[in-house]
Amino acid sequence: MVEQMILASECDVANEVICAPADVKELFELPTIFYIGDIAITRTIILIFLAAFIVIALLYFGLRKGSVIPSKFQAVVESLVQFVRKDVAEDIIGPEGVRYAPYLTAMFLFLLVGNLFEITPLINFPITSRMAIPAFLAIVTWLIFVIVGFYKNGFSYFLDIVWPKSVPIGLRWLVGLIELFSVFLLRPLTLAVRLFANLVAGHLMLTLLLGSGAIFIWNFADAGAKSLVGVAWFAFGLGIYLFEIVVAVLQAYIFTLLSAVYIQSSVHPEH
Amino acid sequence: MEGSIEVLKGGLALMGYGLAAVGPGIGIGIVVGNAITAMARQPEMAGTVRTTMFLGIAFTEALALIGFVLFFIA
Repeated sequence: MVEQMILASECDVANEVICAPADVKELFELPTIFYIGDIAITRTIILIFLAAFIVIALLYFGLRKGSVIPSKFQAVVESLVQFVRKDVAEDIIGPEGVRYAPYLTAMFLFLLVGNLFEITPLINFPITSRMAIPAFLAIVTWLIFVIVGFYKNGFSYFLDIVWPKSVPIGLRWLVGLIELFSVFLLRPLTLAVRLFANLVAGHLMLTLLLGSGAIFIWNFADAGAKSLVGVAWFAFGLGIYLFEIVVAVLQAYIFTLLSAVYIQSSVHPEH
Repeated sequence: MEGSIEVLKGGLALMGYGLAAVGPGIGIGIVVGNAITAMARQPEMAGTVRTTMFLGIAFTEALALIGFVLFFIA
């Protein structure tokens, strides 16, 4: 198990204090497993489909019967769906929020599963630490709030952003410029990067600490007394592991919450 | 010569990220501190305060994240 890790082949146990890969990309760009035509199928792609499959199965089997007295499994799935619908969609967007609840629910569950892959034993790779997934979801959210904004308010949606009436006339152009930049560029960028950066940082910390720990302890014949360092790294890594459970759930929640807030700002632009 | 410039660039990018993290660090401290004060004063509003606190954290965090991205780009 330990010999198969990417870190293990490069780590010089006798001279290093912590095992670090030569290039960070090695931890995130996983090798191709097989090809379908010209499309290279990596472990990441399989995990993406696995996450989608888990979400679909969860919702299908959880809500299939819809009995009045729910089973334990149905109660859990219902509370998840109800959480997004009530506490996110309706509380933030308002009564119209129910229309966006399916999108928010699907996104929340997919991100939750994808983030929790980070700490799932034997998977240990958060699919959201590849920029494609956060970027795609952020672009979808961006499209929804821009289209809804123009659809509900016409061109005055854009005009209210670049020429805000509530600001003194001398400053309007400056505030408008900042708002234009922040609404149409920074919103999707920060939305995607927030999730991506948190998961990259988490995966890096877990891999370096737990990986180094395991390698040092495994190779105690070469490392000698230094394998005690490995025990310290491993203990530290386990602490970070607990912290990452919180981060994984929180980041999925924050992504969904911010999407709802952005949609809300298009549905009711004046406040 | 090439190599030393690369190392210098990496070090500067690291310092840039460190500087970018100072402001949001203070900001998140203020956000969370005030949220705790609000929750202690009005425990019945805790749910609303918590949601708003996460929003405030998310917006404050954005600057540090831009610094994080620039660190990787540089």
